[in-house]
Amino acid sequence: MIRVENLNKTFDGRLVLDNISVTFETGKTNLIIGRSGSGKTVLLKSIVGLHEPDNGEIWFEDILFNNLDFEERKKIREQMGMLFQGSALFDFFTVEQNVRFPLDMFTGKTLEEKTERVNFCLKRVDIINSNKLYPSELSGGMKKRVAIARAIALNPKYLFCDEPNSGLDPLTAILIDELIKELTEEYSMTTIVNTHDMNSVVEIGEKVIFIHEGIKCWEGTNKEILHSDNQILNDFVFANSLAKQLKSTENNNSV
Amino acid sequence: MLKKVFSKPEKPLIYYQQTMHEMVYLGVNSVGIISIISFFMGAVITLQTAYNTENPIYPTYLIGLGCRDSIILEFSSTISALILAGKVGSNIASEIGTMRVTEQIDALEMMGVNSASYLILPKIIATLLFNPLLTLISIIVAILGGWLAGTTAGVITSEDFIYGIQYAFIPYYITYSIIKTLFFAFIITSVSAFHGYFVEGGSLEVGRASTKAVVYSSVLILLFNVILTQLLLS
Repeated sequence: MIRVENLNKTFDGRLVLDNISVTFETGKTNLIIGRSGSGKTVLLKSIVGLHEPDNGEIWFEDILFNNLDFEERKKIREQMGMLFQGSALFDFFTVEQNVRFPLDMFTGKTLEEKTERVNFCLKRVDIINSNKLYPSELSGGMKKRVAIARAIALNPKYLFCDEPNSGLDPLTAILIDELIKELTEEYSMTTIVNTHDMNSVVEIGEKVIFIHEGIKCWEGTNKEILHSDNQILNDFVFANSLAKQLKSTENNNSV
Repeated sequence: MLKKVFSKPEKPLIYYQQTMHEMVYLGVNSVGIISIISFFMGAVITLQTAYNTENPIYPTYLIGLGCRDSIILEFSSTISALILAGKVGSNIASEIGTMRVTEQIDALEMMGVNSASYLILPKIIATLLFNPLLTLISIIVAILGGWLAGTTAGVITSEDFIYGIQYAFIPYYITYSIIKTLFFAFIITSVSAFHGYFVEGGSLEVGRASTKAVVYSSVLILLFNVILTQLLLS
Protein backbone atom coordinates (compact mmCIF):
# COMPACT_ATOMS: atom_id res chain seq x y z
CA MET A 1 0.00 0.00 0.00
CA ILE A 2 1.16 3.52 -0.79
CA ARG A 3 -0.33 6.45 1.06
CA VAL A 4 0.03 10.07 0.02
CA GLU A 5 -0.94 12.75 2.52
CA ASN A 6 -1.39 16.46 1.90
CA LEU A 7 1.12 16.57 -0.92
CA ASN A 8 2.00 19.96 -2.40
CA LYS A 9 4.41 20.70 -5.20
CA THR A 10 5.26 23.98 -6.88
CA PHE A 11 7.47 24.77 -9.86
CA ASP A 12 8.77 28.35 -10.06
CA GLY A 13 6.01 29.51 -7.72
CA ARG A 14 3.28 27.75 -9.74
CA LEU A 15 1.26 25.28 -7.67
CA VAL A 16 1.19 22.00 -9.61
CA LEU A 17 -0.11 19.67 -6.89
CA ASP A 18 -2.49 21.09 -4.32
CA ASN A 19 -2.94 19.16 -1.09
CA ILE A 20 -3.28 15.68 -2.64
CA SER A 21 -4.22 12.86 -0.30
CA VAL A 22 -4.85 9.36 -1.62
CA THR A 23 -4.25 5.71 -0.79
CA PHE A 24 -3.14 3.24 -3.48
CA GLU A 25 -4.12 -0.29 -2.64
CA THR A 26 -2.04 -3.46 -2.83
CA GLY A 27 -2.87 -6.00 -5.53
CA LYS A 28 -4.90 -3.44 -7.45
CA THR A 29 -4.34 -1.38 -10.57
CA ASN A 30 -4.66 2.19 -9.33
CA LEU A 31 -5.15 4.79 -12.04
CA ILE A 32 -4.39 8.48 -11.95
CA ILE A 33 -6.30 10.21 -14.71
CA GLY A 34 -6.57 13.80 -15.86
CA ARG A 35 -5.92 16.13 -18.74
CA SER A 36 -2.42 16.78 -20.04
CA GLY A 37 -0.69 19.19 -17.66
CA SER A 38 -3.02 18.40 -14.78
CA GLY A 39 -0.16 17.18 -12.58
CA LYS A 40 -0.42 13.39 -13.04
CA THR A 41 3.24 12.86 -13.93
CA VAL A 42 4.42 15.24 -11.21
CA LEU A 43 2.37 13.25 -8.67
CA LEU A 44 3.79 9.94 -9.90
CA LYS A 45 7.36 11.27 -9.95
CA SER A 46 6.88 12.76 -6.48
CA ILE A 47 5.73 9.38 -5.19
CA VAL A 48 8.81 7.61 -6.54
CA GLY A 49 11.12 10.40 -5.36
CA LEU A 50 12.14 11.85 -8.71
CA HIS A 51 10.58 15.14 -7.58
CA GLU A 52 10.84 16.37 -4.01
CA PRO A 53 7.45 17.54 -2.72
CA ASP A 54 7.28 20.96 -1.03
CA ASN A 55 5.38 19.39 1.83
CA GLY A 56 3.24 16.37 2.55
CA GLU A 57 4.02 12.74 3.26
CA ILE A 58 4.51 9.65 1.10
CA TRP A 59 4.24 6.34 2.92
CA PHE A 60 5.29 2.97 1.51
CA GLU A 61 3.53 0.64 3.94
CA ASP A 62 4.73 2.05 7.29
CA ILE A 63 7.84 3.81 5.98
CA LEU A 64 7.81 7.56 5.44
CA PHE A 65 9.63 7.59 2.08
CA ASN A 66 10.23 11.30 1.63
CA ASN A 67 12.11 11.52 4.94
CA LEU A 68 14.68 8.96 3.85
CA ASP A 69 18.11 9.85 2.45
CA PHE A 70 19.45 8.51 -0.89
CA GLU A 71 20.95 5.35 0.61
CA GLU A 72 17.84 4.54 2.66
CA ARG A 73 15.60 5.17 -0.35
CA LYS A 74 17.66 2.70 -2.35
CA LYS A 75 16.24 -0.21 -0.33
CA ILE A 76 12.69 0.87 -1.19
CA ARG A 77 13.62 1.64 -4.78
CA GLU A 78 14.88 -1.90 -5.28
CA GLN A 79 11.26 -2.91 -4.70
CA MET A 80 9.98 -0.51 -7.34
CA GLY A 81 9.64 -0.93 -11.08
CA MET A 82 8.73 1.88 -13.39
CA LEU A 83 7.54 2.10 -16.97
CA PHE A 84 8.25 5.55 -18.36
CA GLN A 85 6.21 7.35 -20.99
CA GLY A 86 8.90 6.96 -23.66
CA SER A 87 9.99 3.56 -22.28
CA ALA A 88 13.38 5.03 -21.24
CA LEU A 89 15.30 1.97 -22.37
CA PHE A 90 19.05 2.53 -22.37
CA ASP A 91 20.00 3.17 -26.00
CA PHE A 92 23.50 1.73 -25.61
CA PHE A 93 22.27 -1.62 -24.26
CA THR A 94 20.56 -4.47 -26.06
CA VAL A 95 17.15 -5.74 -24.95
CA GLU A 96 18.82 -8.41 -22.84
CA GLN A 97 21.27 -5.97 -21.26
CA ASN A 98 18.45 -3.54 -20.48
CA VAL A 99 16.45 -6.17 -18.61
CA ARG A 100 19.58 -7.53 -16.93
CA PHE A 101 20.72 -4.09 -15.74
CA PRO A 102 18.81 -4.02 -12.41
CA LEU A 103 19.97 -7.59 -11.75
CA ASP A 104 23.59 -6.57 -12.45
CA MET A 105 23.33 -3.57 -10.15
CA PHE A 106 21.43 -5.02 -7.22
CA THR A 107 21.90 -8.76 -7.06
CA GLY A 108 24.82 -11.10 -6.63
CA LYS A 109 23.41 -13.64 -9.07
CA THR A 110 25.61 -15.49 -11.55
CA LEU A 111 25.38 -14.62 -15.24
CA GLU A 112 23.51 -17.87 -15.84
CA GLU A 113 20.92 -17.07 -13.18
CA LYS A 114 20.54 -13.53 -14.48
CA THR A 115 20.11 -14.71 -18.06
CA GLU A 116 17.47 -17.18 -16.90
CA ARG A 117 15.57 -14.40 -15.12
CA VAL A 118 15.92 -12.08 -18.14
CA ASN A 119 14.53 -14.73 -20.46
CA PHE A 120 11.68 -15.42 -18.04
CA CYS A 121 10.74 -11.72 -17.86
CA LEU A 122 10.97 -11.27 -21.62
CA LYS A 123 8.87 -14.37 -22.23
CA ARG A 124 6.33 -13.09 -19.70
CA VAL A 125 5.85 -9.94 -21.78
CA ASP A 126 5.86 -11.90 -25.05
CA ILE A 127 9.24 -10.74 -26.32
CA ILE A 128 10.94 -13.70 -27.93
CA ASN A 129 14.11 -13.90 -30.06
CA SER A 130 14.85 -10.21 -29.63
CA ASN A 131 17.50 -10.38 -26.89
CA LYS A 132 20.27 -9.00 -29.07
CA LEU A 133 18.28 -6.15 -30.61
CA TYR A 134 18.86 -2.53 -29.61
CA PRO A 135 15.95 -0.26 -28.57
CA SER A 136 16.22 1.65 -31.86
CA GLU A 137 15.33 -1.59 -33.67
CA LEU A 138 12.09 -2.13 -31.71
CA SER A 139 8.55 -0.91 -32.34
CA GLY A 140 6.81 1.33 -29.77
CA GLY A 141 4.81 -1.59 -28.36
CA MET A 142 7.90 -3.79 -28.08
CA LYS A 143 9.78 -1.03 -26.29
CA LYS A 144 6.99 -0.77 -23.72
CA ARG A 145 7.05 -4.53 -23.22
CA VAL A 146 10.81 -4.59 -22.74
CA ALA A 147 10.48 -1.69 -20.30
CA ILE A 148 7.88 -3.69 -18.38
CA ALA A 149 10.20 -6.71 -18.40
CA ARG A 150 12.98 -4.50 -16.97
CA ALA A 151 10.56 -3.10 -14.38
CA ILE A 152 9.60 -6.57 -13.11
CA ALA A 153 13.11 -8.05 -13.27
CA LEU A 154 13.67 -7.58 -9.54
CA ASN A 155 10.20 -8.86 -8.70
CA PRO A 156 9.02 -5.49 -7.38
CA LYS A 157 6.31 -4.78 -4.81
CA TYR A 158 5.40 -1.53 -6.52
CA LEU A 159 4.89 -0.89 -10.23
CA PHE A 160 4.56 2.61 -11.65
CA CYS A 161 3.48 3.25 -15.22
CA ASP A 162 3.53 6.71 -16.76
CA GLU A 163 1.25 6.86 -19.81
CA PRO A 164 1.87 3.23 -20.81
CA ASN A 165 -0.35 3.57 -23.89
CA SER A 166 0.94 6.81 -25.32
CA GLY A 167 1.84 6.46 -28.97
CA LEU A 168 0.39 2.97 -29.31
CA ASP A 169 -2.42 1.74 -31.54
CA PRO A 170 -5.64 0.73 -29.71
CA LEU A 171 -5.01 -3.01 -29.96
CA THR A 172 -1.46 -2.83 -28.66
CA ALA A 173 -2.65 -0.42 -25.96
CA ILE A 174 -5.20 -2.99 -24.78
CA LEU A 175 -2.53 -5.71 -24.72
CA ILE A 176 -0.26 -3.51 -22.59
CA ASP A 177 -3.15 -2.72 -20.24
CA GLU A 178 -3.98 -6.40 -19.88
CA LEU A 179 -0.35 -7.22 -19.23
CA ILE A 180 -0.12 -4.61 -16.47
CA LYS A 181 -3.30 -5.92 -14.85
CA GLU A 182 -2.17 -9.55 -15.08
CA LEU A 183 1.23 -8.78 -13.58
CA THR A 184 -0.36 -6.77 -10.78
CA GLU A 185 -2.58 -9.70 -9.82
CA GLU A 186 0.10 -12.33 -10.40
CA TYR A 187 2.72 -10.68 -8.15
CA SER A 188 0.25 -8.88 -5.87
CA MET A 189 1.90 -5.55 -6.61
CA THR A 190 0.70 -2.06 -5.81
CA THR A 191 0.41 -0.64 -9.30
CA ILE A 192 -0.11 3.01 -10.14
CA VAL A 193 -0.81 3.93 -13.75
CA ASN A 194 -0.94 7.46 -15.11
CA THR A 195 -3.19 7.72 -18.12
CA HIS A 196 -5.68 9.82 -20.01
CA ASP A 197 -6.79 6.85 -22.07
CA MET A 198 -10.43 6.06 -21.23
CA ASN A 199 -10.08 2.53 -22.57
CA SER A 200 -7.53 1.87 -19.82
CA VAL A 201 -9.87 3.35 -17.22
CA VAL A 202 -12.68 1.04 -18.26
CA GLU A 203 -10.48 -2.04 -18.72
CA ILE A 204 -8.14 -1.95 -15.72
CA GLY A 205 -9.16 0.92 -13.42
CA GLU A 206 -9.89 -0.92 -10.20
CA LYS A 207 -9.30 2.34 -8.39
CA VAL A 208 -9.30 5.67 -10.19
CA ILE A 209 -8.40 9.14 -9.00
CA PHE A 210 -9.07 12.17 -11.18
CA ILE A 211 -6.71 15.14 -10.98
CA HIS A 212 -7.75 18.50 -12.38
CA GLU A 213 -5.39 21.48 -12.27
CA GLY A 214 -3.39 19.86 -9.47
CA ILE A 215 -6.40 19.10 -7.28
CA LYS A 216 -7.85 15.67 -6.64
CA CYS A 217 -11.41 16.11 -7.89
CA TRP A 218 -12.77 12.59 -7.74
CA GLU A 219 -11.96 9.08 -6.50
CA GLY A 220 -13.77 5.82 -7.24
CA THR A 221 -13.79 2.72 -9.44
CA ASN A 222 -14.09 2.23 -13.20
CA LYS A 223 -17.75 1.29 -12.71
CA GLU A 224 -18.55 4.38 -10.66
CA ILE A 225 -16.80 6.75 -13.04
CA LEU A 226 -19.43 6.28 -15.76
CA HIS A 227 -22.20 7.32 -13.41
CA SER A 228 -20.59 10.21 -11.62
CA ASP A 229 -22.31 13.57 -11.39
CA ASN A 230 -19.00 15.43 -11.14
CA GLN A 231 -19.22 17.86 -14.07
CA ILE A 232 -15.45 18.34 -14.52
CA LEU A 233 -14.95 14.57 -14.49
CA ASN A 234 -17.78 14.04 -16.97
CA ASP A 235 -16.34 16.69 -19.29
CA PHE A 236 -13.11 14.68 -19.29
CA VAL A 237 -14.56 11.16 -19.44
CA PHE A 238 -17.14 11.92 -22.11
CA ALA A 239 -14.99 14.28 -24.14
CA ASN A 240 -15.26 12.47 -27.48
CA SER A 241 -18.46 12.27 -29.52
CA LEU A 242 -18.78 8.46 -29.27
CA ALA A 243 -18.66 8.61 -25.47
CA LYS A 244 -21.17 11.49 -25.47
CA GLN A 245 -23.54 9.44 -27.64
CA LEU A 246 -23.22 6.43 -25.34
CA LYS A 247 -23.88 8.59 -22.32
CA SER A 248 -27.00 10.18 -23.87
CA THR A 249 -28.27 6.74 -24.99
CA GLU A 250 -27.78 5.41 -21.48
CA ASN A 251 -29.58 8.44 -20.01
CA ASN A 252 -32.49 8.00 -22.45
CA ASN A 253 -32.77 4.31 -21.59
CA SER A 254 -32.80 5.03 -17.87
CA VAL A 255 -35.57 7.65 -18.40
CA MET B 1 27.42 17.34 -8.92
CA LEU B 2 31.11 16.39 -8.53
CA LYS B 3 30.40 15.11 -5.00
CA LYS B 4 27.80 12.75 -6.49
CA VAL B 5 30.17 11.77 -9.32
CA PHE B 6 33.01 10.84 -6.97
CA SER B 7 30.91 8.98 -4.41
CA LYS B 8 31.53 5.26 -3.82
CA PRO B 9 30.49 3.16 -6.85
CA GLU B 10 27.60 0.76 -6.27
CA LYS B 11 29.21 -2.10 -8.19
CA PRO B 12 32.93 -1.54 -8.91
CA LEU B 13 32.95 -4.31 -11.55
CA ILE B 14 30.24 -2.59 -13.57
CA TYR B 15 32.06 0.74 -13.31
CA TYR B 16 35.25 -0.98 -14.48
CA GLN B 17 33.43 -2.42 -17.51
CA GLN B 18 31.93 1.00 -18.26
CA THR B 19 35.38 2.60 -18.00
CA MET B 20 36.81 0.09 -20.48
CA HIS B 21 33.90 0.78 -22.83
CA GLU B 22 34.44 4.54 -22.55
CA MET B 23 38.17 4.14 -23.18
CA VAL B 24 37.35 2.57 -26.51
CA TYR B 25 34.48 4.93 -27.29
CA LEU B 26 36.11 8.19 -26.25
CA GLY B 27 39.79 7.27 -26.55
CA VAL B 28 40.55 4.64 -29.17
CA ASN B 29 37.95 6.12 -31.52
CA SER B 30 39.79 9.46 -31.34
CA VAL B 31 43.17 8.07 -32.42
CA GLY B 32 42.35 8.54 -36.12
CA ILE B 33 41.33 12.20 -35.97
CA ILE B 34 44.19 13.06 -33.60
CA SER B 35 46.69 11.33 -35.90
CA ILE B 36 45.46 13.09 -39.05
CA ILE B 37 45.43 16.53 -37.43
CA SER B 38 48.80 15.98 -35.74
CA PHE B 39 50.41 14.83 -38.98
CA PHE B 40 49.41 17.98 -40.87
CA MET B 41 50.06 20.18 -37.84
CA GLY B 42 53.63 18.86 -37.65
CA ALA B 43 54.08 19.33 -41.39
CA VAL B 44 52.94 22.96 -41.29
CA ILE B 45 55.01 23.79 -38.19
CA THR B 46 58.14 22.45 -39.89
CA LEU B 47 57.53 24.35 -43.13
CA GLN B 48 56.68 27.61 -41.32
CA THR B 49 59.69 27.29 -39.02
CA ALA B 50 61.87 26.69 -42.09
CA TYR B 51 60.56 29.76 -43.93
CA ASN B 52 60.92 31.92 -40.80
CA THR B 53 64.52 30.88 -40.19
CA GLU B 54 65.83 31.25 -43.72
CA ASN B 55 69.11 32.72 -42.58
CA PRO B 56 72.57 31.24 -43.10
CA ILE B 57 73.45 32.12 -39.47
CA TYR B 58 70.94 29.61 -38.16
CA PRO B 59 71.86 25.95 -38.50
CA THR B 60 69.07 24.03 -40.26
CA TYR B 61 68.76 21.46 -37.46
CA LEU B 62 67.06 24.25 -35.47
CA ILE B 63 64.03 23.60 -37.66
CA GLY B 64 63.77 20.12 -36.12
CA LEU B 65 64.36 21.51 -32.64
CA GLY B 66 61.75 24.25 -33.09
CA CYS B 67 59.29 21.77 -34.52
CA ARG B 68 59.82 19.36 -31.60
CA ASP B 69 59.47 21.97 -28.86
CA SER B 70 56.40 23.61 -30.43
CA ILE B 71 54.72 20.25 -30.76
CA ILE B 72 55.57 18.97 -27.30
CA LEU B 73 55.07 22.20 -25.38
CA GLU B 74 51.97 23.49 -27.03
CA PHE B 75 50.41 21.90 -30.05
CA SER B 76 50.03 18.23 -29.13
CA SER B 77 48.47 18.93 -25.76
CA THR B 78 46.47 22.10 -26.39
CA ILE B 79 45.39 21.64 -30.01
CA SER B 80 44.54 18.00 -29.35
CA ALA B 81 42.51 19.07 -26.32
CA LEU B 82 40.61 21.63 -28.41
CA ILE B 83 39.92 18.99 -31.05
CA LEU B 84 38.77 16.56 -28.36
CA ALA B 85 36.59 19.25 -26.78
CA GLY B 86 34.78 19.37 -30.11
CA LYS B 87 34.62 15.65 -30.75
CA VAL B 88 34.42 14.05 -27.30
CA GLY B 89 32.84 17.02 -25.49
CA SER B 90 29.90 17.35 -27.85
CA ASN B 91 29.51 13.58 -27.82
CA ILE B 92 29.35 13.42 -24.01
CA ALA B 93 26.97 16.39 -23.71
CA SER B 94 24.60 15.10 -26.37
CA GLU B 95 24.67 11.51 -25.08
CA ILE B 96 23.94 12.48 -21.47
CA GLY B 97 21.54 15.24 -22.56
CA THR B 98 19.55 12.81 -24.69
CA MET B 99 19.44 10.40 -21.77
CA ARG B 100 18.08 13.22 -19.62
CA VAL B 101 15.29 14.29 -22.00
CA THR B 102 14.27 10.69 -22.78
CA GLU B 103 13.99 9.92 -19.04
CA GLN B 104 16.82 7.36 -19.11
CA ILE B 105 18.51 9.23 -16.24
CA ASP B 106 15.21 9.22 -14.34
CA ALA B 107 15.07 5.46 -14.94
CA LEU B 108 18.53 5.07 -13.38
CA GLU B 109 17.63 7.27 -10.38
CA MET B 110 14.36 5.42 -10.01
CA MET B 111 16.26 2.13 -9.71
CA GLY B 112 18.40 3.65 -6.97
CA VAL B 113 21.48 4.03 -9.17
CA ASN B 114 23.63 7.13 -8.61
CA SER B 115 23.20 8.32 -12.20
CA ALA B 116 25.82 11.08 -12.03
CA SER B 117 28.45 8.65 -10.86
CA TYR B 118 27.41 5.80 -13.17
CA LEU B 119 27.36 7.99 -16.28
CA ILE B 120 30.17 10.46 -15.64
CA LEU B 121 32.84 8.81 -13.46
CA PRO B 122 33.79 6.13 -16.06
CA LYS B 123 34.11 8.86 -18.71
CA ILE B 124 36.37 10.99 -16.48
CA ILE B 125 38.58 8.02 -15.58
CA ALA B 126 38.70 6.83 -19.20
CA THR B 127 39.79 10.21 -20.56
CA LEU B 128 42.28 10.76 -17.72
CA LEU B 129 43.88 7.43 -18.57
CA PHE B 130 43.67 7.57 -22.36
CA ASN B 131 44.18 11.25 -23.27
CA PRO B 132 47.86 11.27 -22.20
CA LEU B 133 48.33 8.39 -24.62
CA LEU B 134 46.60 10.43 -27.31
CA THR B 135 49.01 13.29 -26.60
CA LEU B 136 52.00 10.96 -26.95
CA ILE B 137 50.59 9.60 -30.23
CA SER B 138 50.05 13.18 -31.37
CA ILE B 139 53.67 14.12 -30.56
CA ILE B 140 55.06 11.14 -32.47
CA VAL B 141 52.80 11.57 -35.49
CA ALA B 142 53.33 15.35 -35.62
CA ILE B 143 57.12 14.96 -35.58
CA LEU B 144 56.77 12.31 -38.28
CA GLY B 145 54.63 14.72 -40.32
CA GLY B 146 57.20 17.46 -39.80
CA TRP B 147 60.05 15.21 -40.91
CA LEU B 148 58.17 14.04 -44.02
CA ALA B 149 57.10 17.56 -45.03
CA GLY B 150 60.53 19.06 -44.34
CA THR B 151 62.49 16.46 -46.27
CA THR B 152 59.96 16.23 -49.13
CA ALA B 153 59.88 20.01 -49.56
CA GLY B 154 63.68 20.07 -49.36
CA VAL B 155 63.86 22.63 -46.55
CA ILE B 156 65.86 20.30 -44.30
CA THR B 157 67.74 17.05 -44.66
CA SER B 158 66.61 13.96 -42.83
CA GLU B 159 69.87 13.89 -40.81
CA ASP B 160 69.52 17.53 -39.70
CA PHE B 161 65.89 17.06 -38.72
CA ILE B 162 66.67 13.95 -36.66
CA TYR B 163 69.65 15.69 -35.07
CA GLY B 164 67.42 18.71 -34.32
CA ILE B 165 64.71 16.74 -32.60
CA GLN B 166 67.33 15.11 -30.36
CA TYR B 167 69.29 18.29 -29.66
CA ALA B 168 68.97 19.79 -26.16
CA PHE B 169 65.99 17.63 -25.38
CA ILE B 170 64.41 18.33 -21.98
CA PRO B 171 62.35 15.31 -20.80
CA TYR B 172 60.37 17.54 -18.40
CA TYR B 173 58.64 19.03 -21.44
CA ILE B 174 56.87 15.69 -21.93
CA THR B 175 55.82 15.67 -18.27
CA TYR B 176 54.56 19.24 -18.65
CA SER B 177 52.56 18.24 -21.72
CA ILE B 178 51.04 15.23 -19.94
CA ILE B 179 50.11 17.31 -16.87
CA LYS B 180 48.34 19.80 -19.13
CA THR B 181 46.58 16.95 -20.90
CA LEU B 182 45.28 15.57 -17.61
CA PHE B 183 43.79 18.95 -16.68
CA PHE B 184 42.31 19.37 -20.14
CA ALA B 185 40.82 15.85 -20.09
CA PHE B 186 39.10 16.59 -16.78
CA ILE B 187 37.80 19.92 -18.10
CA ILE B 188 36.42 18.39 -21.31
CA THR B 189 34.64 15.52 -19.58
CA SER B 190 33.30 17.30 -16.52
CA VAL B 191 32.15 20.47 -18.30
CA SER B 192 30.47 18.52 -21.10
CA ALA B 193 28.86 16.07 -18.69
CA PHE B 194 27.59 18.97 -16.58
CA HIS B 195 25.92 20.62 -19.58
CA GLY B 196 24.38 17.32 -20.68
CA TYR B 197 23.26 16.22 -17.21
CA PHE B 198 21.34 19.39 -16.42
CA VAL B 199 19.68 19.89 -19.79
CA GLU B 200 15.95 20.62 -19.69
CA GLY B 201 13.58 20.44 -22.62
CA GLY B 202 13.96 18.50 -25.86
CA SER B 203 16.29 17.89 -28.77
CA LEU B 204 16.80 21.61 -29.39
CA GLU B 205 18.11 22.07 -25.85
CA VAL B 206 20.34 19.01 -26.22
CA GLY B 207 21.91 20.65 -29.30
CA ARG B 208 22.39 23.89 -27.40
CA ALA B 209 23.91 22.04 -24.45
CA SER B 210 26.30 20.32 -26.82
CA THR B 211 27.40 23.64 -28.33
CA LYS B 212 27.76 25.22 -24.88
CA ALA B 213 29.84 22.25 -23.73
CA VAL B 214 32.32 22.75 -26.59
CA VAL B 215 32.52 26.53 -26.14
CA TYR B 216 32.95 26.46 -22.34
CA SER B 217 35.44 23.56 -22.49
CA SER B 218 37.50 25.33 -25.16
CA VAL B 219 37.61 28.62 -23.25
CA LEU B 220 38.56 26.84 -20.01
CA ILE B 221 41.26 24.87 -21.83
CA LEU B 222 42.79 28.09 -23.15
CA LEU B 223 42.55 29.73 -19.72
CA PHE B 224 44.13 26.77 -17.94
CA ASN B 225 46.77 26.59 -20.65
CA VAL B 226 48.00 30.03 -19.58
CA ILE B 227 47.74 29.27 -15.85
CA LEU B 228 49.50 25.88 -16.12
CA THR B 229 52.22 27.25 -18.36
CA GLN B 230 52.97 29.96 -15.82
CA LEU B 231 52.89 27.48 -12.93
CA LEU B 232 54.85 24.67 -14.54
CA LEU B 233 57.43 26.47 -16.67
CA SER B 234 58.23 29.56 -14.60
